[in-house]
Amino acid sequence: MDNFIKLKDVECCLDKKRVLENINIDVGKKELISITGPNGSGKTTLSRVIIGTVPYTRGTVSIENKEVKHMTLGEIGRKIGYLFQNPDKQIFTPTVYEELSFSYKYNKELDTRRKESDIDEILEIFDIKKLKNKTTYFLSQGERQRLAIASILINKPEFLILDEPTTGLDYKRKEILSKLFKMYENKLGILLISHDMKFIKKHSHRVISMERGCITGEI
Amino acid sequence: MDPRTKLIIVMCLSTLGLFFSDVYKLSAVFVIGIIVSKILGGNLYALLVRIRKIMYLLFFIVVIQSFFTKGGSPILSIGDFNIITDIGLEKGLGYFLRVLIIITSGVIITTSRDREMIQGIVQFGLPYEFAFMTAVGIKFMPLLVEEFKDTYTAIQLKGIEIKSLPLIERFKISSYILTPVIASTINKGKKLSISVESRGFRVYDKRTSLVNLKFCNIDYLLILFTVITTFIAIYIN
Repeated sequence: MDNFIKLKDVECCLDKKRVLENINIDVGKKELISITGPNGSGKTTLSRVIIGTVPYTRGTVSIENKEVKHMTLGEIGRKIGYLFQNPDKQIFTPTVYEELSFSYKYNKELDTRRKESDIDEILEIFDIKKLKNKTTYFLSQGERQRLAIASILINKPEFLILDEPTTGLDYKRKEILSKLFKMYENKLGILLISHDMKFIKKHSHRVISMERGCITGEI
Repeated sequence: MDPRTKLIIVMCLSTLGLFFSDVYKLSAVFVIGIIVSKILGGNLYALLVRIRKIMYLLFFIVVIQSFFTKGGSPILSIGDFNIITDIGLEKGLGYFLRVLIIITSGVIITTSRDREMIQGIVQFGLPYEFAFMTAVGIKFMPLLVEEFKDTYTAIQLKGIEIKSLPLIERFKISSYILTPVIASTINKGKKLSISVESRGFRVYDKRTSLVNLKFCNIDYLLILFTVITTFIAIYIN
């Protein structure tokens, strides 16, 4: 398998407390992998270790054979799109259009000539075309969720990490998310962190369960 | 120790910080603050981390003071421009030490539990609402800091190398961080007000409290000693 993310004997301590222990995971480039486990089991910390915002104390974490410690957040962001548990944290512009065009201003790797067509395309995919000029503060939870994922995907990452993307979504919104997963299957890899076993089973090639900072099983 | 005693110590330290302008005297106040916070079990490691994070501020203040204060011998200059002068350095260090005294005072206050501190302020005669809002504000600070950090991370994860951008662009990007933080603070405030009112906040004009603080002999002694020493120090100064 073509490994995209590799974690080897990873240990992480926060405030002198061990929160991750002996984590070994290999994730393929186009793989759909899920991590599940009770609250406080270390799922979110693990995802943050992968994107380099939480430092690990032992072992190695690498993205495409390059250790995360030696990568900048910008470099990681060009490879991995990350959806926070609370998408409000990653919507920081006044309108939907500005949110989607933000990356084109500063990310030098994006083709600015394709900006308008890319934005229209992503608005269409996420069914938020009518919201294009709407103020982001007045969006519903589901709309904010979709906008957050759309603004990540417009960056054209190779891999996605979604932290609890189904939280607060009703059946219809989950179906929209399901469609997106199907649409991007075999196009990019996804690491999904969730409690929603039904959703996980439907969309994952592999499910890893965690408890008290350790991997306890794999299906 | 009674939280009111800590509040009085902090008030005295801050007052001395304001009255003194001499670097040595300010350093002495800062050292006393550190000793007090250590005795009270304050987290000095966190204090050191905070100091390390604002070290750039020292350099910034020193340069600004050197620019705008007339006179003084140049320590570092480029051509005719004095970057750092001895007066600028002294004034800058003075301002920086005042910031450190305020941070140390914060560490002293955090050695008491929130509830005790609220009660301390109330028993000082301030309205409960005022004390409660102050305590809530302090309690929400770490959450706000986390939100700032997360949004900054989210911006960088859009593939943006903030550190390699020109300074003006960096400032522009930083302004984006405020939007989600302000929005979330307003939301939190709304939810909190509904929550406290549903629990009977301000239903009656006067509140009774299970917690009732009482001064011990050591508190009286410490207050007396601190206040007298502060007055003497100001008088001599």
